[in-house]
Amino acid sequence: MDKKTEQYDVVIIGGGAAGLTAGIYCGRARLKTLIIEKALVGGLATYTNEIENFPGFPEGSTGLGLMELFHKQAKKFGVTFKLTDVKAVNFDNDVKVVETFRVNYEAKAVIIATGGKPRITKAKNEENYLFDKGISFCATCDAAANTDKMVIVIGSGDAAIEEGMFLTRFAKKVYVSVIHDEGIMDCNEIAKEQAMSNPKMEFLWNTVVDSFEGEGHLDTVVLRNLKTKEQQPVKVDTCFEFIGYEPNTDIFKGIVDLSEKGYVIVNELMETNVSGVFSAGDTNEKFLKQVATAVGDGAIAGVMAEKYLAENEVFYHQILNAEKPGVVFVYDATCELCRELLPIVEEMAARSNGAFRLTKVDVYKSKGIARRLGVAGTPVLVFVKDGKVDRVIDKNITRDTILNELS
Amino acid sequence: MKEEVLDCNGEACPVPLVKAQNKLKELEVGDVLVVQVDHSCAMKNVPEWARKEGHNVEIEEVDDGEWEIVIQKAK
Repeated sequence: MDKKTEQYDVVIIGGGAAGLTAGIYCGRARLKTLIIEKALVGGLATYTNEIENFPGFPEGSTGLGLMELFHKQAKKFGVTFKLTDVKAVNFDNDVKVVETFRVNYEAKAVIIATGGKPRITKAKNEENYLFDKGISFCATCDAAANTDKMVIVIGSGDAAIEEGMFLTRFAKKVYVSVIHDEGIMDCNEIAKEQAMSNPKMEFLWNTVVDSFEGEGHLDTVVLRNLKTKEQQPVKVDTCFEFIGYEPNTDIFKGIVDLSEKGYVIVNELMETNVSGVFSAGDTNEKFLKQVATAVGDGAIAGVMAEKYLAENEVFYHQILNAEKPGVVFVYDATCELCRELLPIVEEMAARSNGAFRLTKVDVYKSKGIARRLGVAGTPVLVFVKDGKVDRVIDKNITRDTILNELS
Repeated sequence: MKEEVLDCNGEACPVPLVKAQNKLKELEVGDVLVVQVDHSCAMKNVPEWARKEGHNVEIEEVDDGEWEIVIQKAK
């Protein structure tokens, strides 16, 4: 089967809070934008029953409800959605390729917003029961199926305790395996208090999972007490694991710079080490992973992608246009010498009667074009001939240099 | 290559997943199963399961809150 090829200005990989926000910004900037999501649009937030700290929703919202609004807004700005998973990417050239099962999407800019995937305990036999055979990572998905049943939650962070309390509305009993000493949990104090007084919850302190057992479907989770080394089998119908996330960055290994733990390394402009590739949200190495921070990242990545495309346009269609010789004056609006020389350059260009084409590049606004020209510092004169950089003068530029070079 | 359509509209988890698992067992490698769902949780566990099993999965949003999960049996 031949693969189809489709072209976009921006391809965003991942349709969670960060990806959708980036999509809203790109769509509103009238860029041809595609969001690729492998499952449900909305990402990790849709796994949460209640979101109470996203500003603008004083009554709180369900994760799914909030994300449906994001989705609707992105659609309003003309963003295209494709629900499939990305198999591979190629960022070697200016045109980047994002490959899915049936289509190669070509993009001028790519935004990585792949978020995280649940971390697993790596206990014995775990792989035999993942997702559909008794180990779940989504309380809102599988709570109803556990009505009047016994379940266990692994973990004591906010997600574990809040989802555990949600499960008590359905399940007969909710065991919670906590790695810490009695009374110590990783979640916030309010959740902790509520959980401790919930009669359906039973806490198993100082425990970790040793193994998962059951014929075909999970029926017992064997815990190990870290203090006494005792094994404790717990009969349950479903085990919910909430022990954090790992970044979803396998397909980017060796292509963009990742931290030791696999998170994408970006600067404050959400730029990765690859020009034209940005990254936003939980997949980045950062301090706080919330819907609110993902939205901020997504906005920056969206705006930067737009800026990158605009600079691309200037770079290829103006600066490297081979029709006539070009001169690029790279300056910094905050440097006094640059400000003095700028009118002289402009006057020489006007006097040349169109013998060359002048492009002024202010690095104070953006360093993108200077970087593409391979120059640093200011002021710099770059001479372009036949669509290529011919000569660079980057030292000791004075009024005389300009008068001599541009006459 | 056969294509089968499984209508799971109106059904909540885990019914669509169980039905999809049973139906896929009857199909041959290369056959395509289209699972129609309108319950968002099925959009998580059905593709998750099918990809874990190594099948090719694509989803079409046919309407707001209605999807077709297209699974091509790979083994």
